[in-house]
Amino acid sequence: MLLIEADGKALFRAFGIPVPEGVVATGAAPMLPGAGPWMVKAQVPVGGRGKAGGIRKCSSADAVSVALEEMLGKRLKGHTVEAVLVEKIASGKEKYLSLSVDAASYGVRVIYLAGGGVDVERAAESGGAGMVCAPDRGAIAATLSEILTKDPDRAALIVLGEKLADLLLTRELMLAEINPLFVSPTGCIAGDAKIVIDLNAIERQPELRATLEARPTIYTDAIRKLHEGFDYVELDPNGEIGLLTTGAGLSMMLIDELTARGGKPLNFLDIRTGQLRGSPKRIIHALTWMAEHPSLKVVLVNIFAGITDLAEFSVLLADALEQTPQMRAPVVARLVGRGQDVAAKTLAERQPAMLVTDDLEVSLAAVARLIGRAA
Amino acid sequence: MITTLSAKTPVIVQGITGRMGRTHAGLMRAYGTNMVGGTSTRAMPEGVDGMPVFASCAAAAAATGAVGSVVMAPPDGTRAAVEEALAAGIKLLVTPAEGVPVHDAIAIGRAVRAAGATWVGASNPGLAVPGEMKMGFLPDVCLAPGPVAIMSKSGTLSYEVGYRLVRAGLGQSLWIGVGGDAVKGVRFADLLAPFNADPRTFAIALIGEVGGVEEEEFSDVLVSTPHSKPVYALIAGREAKEGVAMGHAGALTYGASGTITTKTERLTAAGARVFASIESMIQAMTADLAAHRRTG
Repeated sequence: MLLIEADGKALFRAFGIPVPEGVVATGAAPMLPGAGPWMVKAQVPVGGRGKAGGIRKCSSADAVSVALEEMLGKRLKGHTVEAVLVEKIASGKEKYLSLSVDAASYGVRVIYLAGGGVDVERAAESGGAGMVCAPDRGAIAATLSEILTKDPDRAALIVLGEKLADLLLTRELMLAEINPLFVSPTGCIAGDAKIVIDLNAIERQPELRATLEARPTIYTDAIRKLHEGFDYVELDPNGEIGLLTTGAGLSMMLIDELTARGGKPLNFLDIRTGQLRGSPKRIIHALTWMAEHPSLKVVLVNIFAGITDLAEFSVLLADALEQTPQMRAPVVARLVGRGQDVAAKTLAERQPAMLVTDDLEVSLAAVARLIGRAA
Repeated sequence: MITTLSAKTPVIVQGITGRMGRTHAGLMRAYGTNMVGGTSTRAMPEGVDGMPVFASCAAAAAATGAVGSVVMAPPDGTRAAVEEALAAGIKLLVTPAEGVPVHDAIAIGRAVRAAGATWVGASNPGLAVPGEMKMGFLPDVCLAPGPVAIMSKSGTLSYEVGYRLVRAGLGQSLWIGVGGDAVKGVRFADLLAPFNADPRTFAIALIGEVGGVEEEEFSDVLVSTPHSKPVYALIAGREAKEGVAMGHAGALTYGASGTITTKTERLTAAGARVFASIESMIQAMTADLAAHRRTG
């Protein structure tokens, strides 16, 4: 998952990579670092913030206050802006440097681009740029040295690249990117930080875990996963359709198909029915989070039971609904696979209002009807 | 390796005495897989459900000639388990564990490559040669021999596709769940050549997700493959939230990276048909493969 820039820069600082002096504002204007101008940057974990209006250059303290007012609490590319980074402006020649895990070669991809600009990022991501090497410090340093053979700033960039390699390998990152990287006679300074961490390594990276836990309103989805053991991602706080689903791919596909039919899904969910172990707890939690949204109009349950026994799941679902009285939205359940007949009988007795079907298309049409759209 | 799998291929389960290991060893055997035993740190001289239990992969491989292993290890124990299997000469590894750290996956990938072995996973339901054998836990209700070779990042979405293919009178020649992780074993691009070479296969279903560049790599290979069998693709995650992994660790978009737009464009340009819904893909395959439908 992507860290916000301020946290990426804190990692840079910890590994000796210079960053501009700055402060994170979450409310009223903070004590500004030095004299202006400043960069005011919305802290949401997405790329392309500049083009989306999330980055502004301000030359006066008043302008900073206005920018903060306008950014905080607003939605930017699917995320609410909970924090804004205000930094002293940095300058120099604009470069690009990144190290990332290269899945196909089981190595590290080293990309250095001597030109700057926002679109450098796109050029680098569209594939093939840079060189790949073995995932160790020595190989990364040798590769950098080769890429930078004729670069006038070679010495400073190699020192910086080695620090970035230490960061990538020590913190088990997937991506460590500096764009722009400002290079001037006084040295290198990271203008931005794009860090993708591996949530699967978080148990052995306590520093990263602390970083996430320190910002519960920003890393809500990740913290929820760490605490609950399953994935619930809020997509739209004004969503109409709550999803009680298992399996990441099928849940994503359902969201796509519901959206294409004019629906507004509230959440993504991979509840992992195989891990329920006879307890309705996960279902209760998911229903509780959904019920907090007044916009909710229907809950769609979709379980394709290969291994899971639907007879058992249906009891847990009925238990969970009984223990979540605040959930008033109608429930449509598509249950197919092992034990589906027993499950349908159980739900007909305990939740007679629930529409239960084994056909996904039927359930999608029912959802469309309940939110007032044609199927 | 993958196209030569059959009901004769000897398979073990690493961790066969655990809850999951024991259940799935039994289910795999019931499906037709040649289950020759398993390993466990627990000594069980009486075996498990008639399958012998060995203290190590080396002992299991020596006694049974096992070629494949389904690794039922926790995510942080997967790397050590794979290294043990490789040292014992196991040539095909299926690792369903969800949550293997990325830098462990890099180490596993390098070790598998050095050993000349094949790795399928992690974070996947396994693979199957329908009608012959399966390694992992693809549900039997989705499996039937037929003309479609499936490659999928997602378990559940592939179940849905497989199930509807079976109901439509079609089935599968081969089914490889490559898994939802960012760094993995076999990738989509690795499977085009074996699927094209497989005489049972008449169409290829690619079930992808946003994140990573596997669909793009596959497109590159498809472009340079003259007369490929037709490719039908479904990519989940058009509405995925940027910057957050959507359940699968590999399903992460940021900036222009990993989005559905690029994947759809590249696949389409390479000659694949990309569908916006499960039903539309099934309908197209049913129409195109009418000659291969089972009758009766």
